[in-house]
Amino acid sequence: MVMEKQVGTVLEQKNVKSKRYRQEAQIGLLFLAPWLIGFILLKALPILAALVFSLTDFHMLTPEATQFVGLKNYIRFFSDSEAGANLFGSLEYFLLTVPLEMAVALALAAIFTSERLRGKGILQTLLFMTSIIPSTSIFFIFLGSLQYAERLIFTPMNLPPIQGFGLLLPFIALWSIGPGFLIIYSAMESVPNEIYEAARVDGAGPFARFIYITLPMISPAIFFTLVVNLTGAFGGALLLDRGYILSFSLSPMEGYINDMMFTQADLGYASALAWVTFAVMMSITIYLFRSSRRWVYFPEDDENVEI
Amino acid sequence: MLRSKRRAEHSTLSFKLWDFTGTALLNLFMFLFVLVYLSPLPFMVIASLTPSNQFLDANAPILPSERVKFNYEGKDLIVYKVPFEDGERNLALYKPSRQSSEFIDPEHPEAGTITWQGSWRALKAVYHLKPTLDNFKEFFAASKVTLYFKNTIIIAIISEIGVLLSSIAVAYGFSRFRIPGIRYIFFLLIATIMIPSNITLVPTYYLFSGHMLDWIGTWLPLIIPHFFGSAILIFLLRQNFKSIPRDLDEAAMLDGAGPLRILVSVILPQSIPVVTTVALLHFFYIWNETRMASLYLGISPNLQTISFGIQRTQSFFFTPEALMVGALVVMAIPVVILFISRRFFMQDMIVTQIEK
Repeated sequence: MVMEKQVGTVLEQKNVKSKRYRQEAQIGLLFLAPWLIGFILLKALPILAALVFSLTDFHMLTPEATQFVGLKNYIRFFSDSEAGANLFGSLEYFLLTVPLEMAVALALAAIFTSERLRGKGILQTLLFMTSIIPSTSIFFIFLGSLQYAERLIFTPMNLPPIQGFGLLLPFIALWSIGPGFLIIYSAMESVPNEIYEAARVDGAGPFARFIYITLPMISPAIFFTLVVNLTGAFGGALLLDRGYILSFSLSPMEGYINDMMFTQADLGYASALAWVTFAVMMSITIYLFRSSRRWVYFPEDDENVEI
Repeated sequence: MLRSKRRAEHSTLSFKLWDFTGTALLNLFMFLFVLVYLSPLPFMVIASLTPSNQFLDANAPILPSERVKFNYEGKDLIVYKVPFEDGERNLALYKPSRQSSEFIDPEHPEAGTITWQGSWRALKAVYHLKPTLDNFKEFFAASKVTLYFKNTIIIAIISEIGVLLSSIAVAYGFSRFRIPGIRYIFFLLIATIMIPSNITLVPTYYLFSGHMLDWIGTWLPLIIPHFFGSAILIFLLRQNFKSIPRDLDEAAMLDGAGPLRILVSVILPQSIPVVTTVALLHFFYIWNETRMASLYLGISPNLQTISFGIQRTQSFFFTPEALMVGALVVMAIPVVILFISRRFFMQDMIVTQIEK
């Protein structure tokens, strides 16, 4: 009799609990709805179409002659040394620019949180400003400034002339620091003051506070910047765009895909290349997400961090 | 007690001196950094104020200048630096010829012509400093800049409202609710960020074209998709929302607050810096965007946005000074907005409505 009653309450509790879970999931889905609906209506079809294109020899000049060719486009990728080189070029571009960009953004954001710095409004504007210079002008700015430098500094001092575009990529990377800086800085500003106060009372110096409080607290933002810079290097979505024309990209792989698509009009092969790039990018990202469990800090870590 | 002791320590003279030096060094460092960082920018301003023919002369000075001219017998003569045995003289070229040319001395025109042996083409012209706004005038005359500004601001504001509302809601959904399979939905979200954007261009164009939605030549393709949230911004907001401790949510929940109320009065007040960042990033994204504008507004020039409109005008002139003028015009409003946005990053802005 007693036992029956106990079983009954456990079941009841379980029922109440599962009901609450179900309710929570329903409300959660309601919040996710805008993106889910948008995905189904506007994204899913084009993505599926791109997948189908990659299995055909779709040529934009002769769309009526399109035929299903199976995995031929993917097999072609493996014998296309130029595509492989561009894929590695993208990886190289990522490794060359992103660590530099992130280190500088982190240092600048750390300086910005100091109460001693004056004129933050102007400084923030000046640092971000370079990230919105239109693509059409940026090359001329560099060329013109290099000429000025030659005439004013290098020639009078008998220094050898500056060799071409080698400097350009790191410089453009640094000049695109605005979004990364803003994201890391806003994360730093969101760290509750009380934590710093507590650490200060415990005798932690500024360096220790940065390492043991700031870095863990902003690790989600650092992780975000890392993933987004990765996608940018391979031609995925960008946080900010200088308004490059359709066929141009700073990412070597995206440049190659664009060339296949716009110059050669070979949409089938371009799609296959895009999916290969996507697979590479996604594997790196999944690895990053897995590793993030070890270095990205969330206050209440639960199971939905990982992919 | 400990605190008052520390404060006493702080007020000693040596600490003040140390404090002052630290502040000075930090500010000096930032000043020097910005100076180097922005060193290519003077070219932009100088070039935009430079008369157009100056770039054609390799010997022209760097600052915006004009050739010195001398009016003689109703004609404008160009003044050159002419080398003589006893030094260089600034003379106006009167009769150019291959082997020897005749010059007039602007200071003594009554003395008559001076003949100089040599090719006048090798001579350097004399310049005087004269910045001009002609480049801006020409640019504005050739381009409907004010119309483009108006269009872009309307598009940016409407899509900004949409993207903020939906991205915040979705990010909240991703960061606070236990939903079965949510990690796969999040995986899908990340995947949409990673798909190279141009590859869905043709099918997306087809979707927006007369075959299906018939949105070409309207602002709808530039506005409506943002009302479903931007994956990249959702990801950014979700990272921030997840790093906010849940104890305040739970306290609010015990007080009877619903999910929406928790979002508005617990989560958002603690996220003002990141929401500002998201708003700025989206605004600048729309402002700089040219691919969508060129695809969907190419046929309706009166609906065109600023970046693409300026790009068109620039390609029409395609001179260094026009490119710089265009860049300055496009950047003007974002710079003002950046400056204003500053106050949203300050920590005293962040107020939580529930006492901690």
